[in-house]
Amino acid sequence: MEEKLFTIGQAAEYLGVSLNTLRRWDENGKLVAIRKDGGTHRYYRQQDLDLFASNLIKLAHDWTTDGSELPAMFYCANSAVFQARLIKMQDTLVRSGLSENLVPLIVSVAGEIGNNSFDHNLGKWPDIPGVFFGYDVTKRQVVLADRGLGILSTLSRVRPELKTHVDALRVAFTEVVSGRAPEARGNGLKFVRRVVAENPVSLFFRSGDAELRLKKDNNELFITRSQSITRGCFAVIEY
Amino acid sequence: MRIELKKFGTTLISRQSGKEAFAALQSTVIDIAVDEIIEIDFEGVITFSPSWGDEFLTPLLNQFGDRLVLLPTSNPSVKITIKLLEEINKESFKAKS
Repeated sequence: MEEKLFTIGQAAEYLGVSLNTLRRWDENGKLVAIRKDGGTHRYYRQQDLDLFASNLIKLAHDWTTDGSELPAMFYCANSAVFQARLIKMQDTLVRSGLSENLVPLIVSVAGEIGNNSFDHNLGKWPDIPGVFFGYDVTKRQVVLADRGLGILSTLSRVRPELKTHVDALRVAFTEVVSGRAPEARGNGLKFVRRVVAENPVSLFFRSGDAELRLKKDNNELFITRSQSITRGCFAVIEY
Repeated sequence: MRIELKKFGTTLISRQSGKEAFAALQSTVIDIAVDEIIEIDFEGVITFSPSWGDEFLTPLLNQFGDRLVLLPTSNPSVKITIKLLEEINKESFKAKS
């Protein structure tokens, strides 16, 4: 039986991106279309679209790098959309049978990281507002990213002595300091660290050229410099 | 007086909604007796975070001090949040055992 193919219009609707984005992705090889018998019309297999949308880390990384359009299902343009999707993730995690101890921790860690993006960048987004938010209950993975100012730029307003992304990341995860002084803020990432240190959860977090790894049931901070620079923040939670 | 947090939602995450919840509660607590205890009941809450807690519990602690009492819960997101808020604010919440 011949496999049903999506037209470019159907594929655009399926992924929640524009036709032009699909054409561009076809031209640059990001998501290559099928052409029947050497024709000019673009077609897509559903399994290729699903595979494309399942690579959360690549989608988020590409978005922070080039800012190209995201599949609508992963883009939260504002905090209200993020809150609604976070509640949906909570329901999905509960239904997936994840332990009732772990569900609140995964949701609160994702919530603190995502809300940090909105709280610290509100009115200051350099270009595209909002966050990437995707999760995969089979891979037990949550991915968040933003194209905001990043940790160093945010913290250096209240801690001007901070000069490197590595130092900024260390402060963000260890010291109580607010990036929105004089308001008393800045405890979200300390909470994240504590949850990871005491539970079977791990975190990868990158901002600027600094990468932090927090490992399951381990209180140590592993911070290194990365090869490339990340615009804003990029986080992967695994459980 | 017992405040059931589930009436504010089962996912208590953002600073903004914590602030709104605190503001909404003010109309309820404004008339309470000067010696009345305010109990915070976490029953039914699935996810709790320091952002929400800092906008709701911290100002309530400042407002009512020892009259604010947290009821016991096994929810780990509540427990870690309370501990962190106590360290940040350098003030302990009164807890009912």
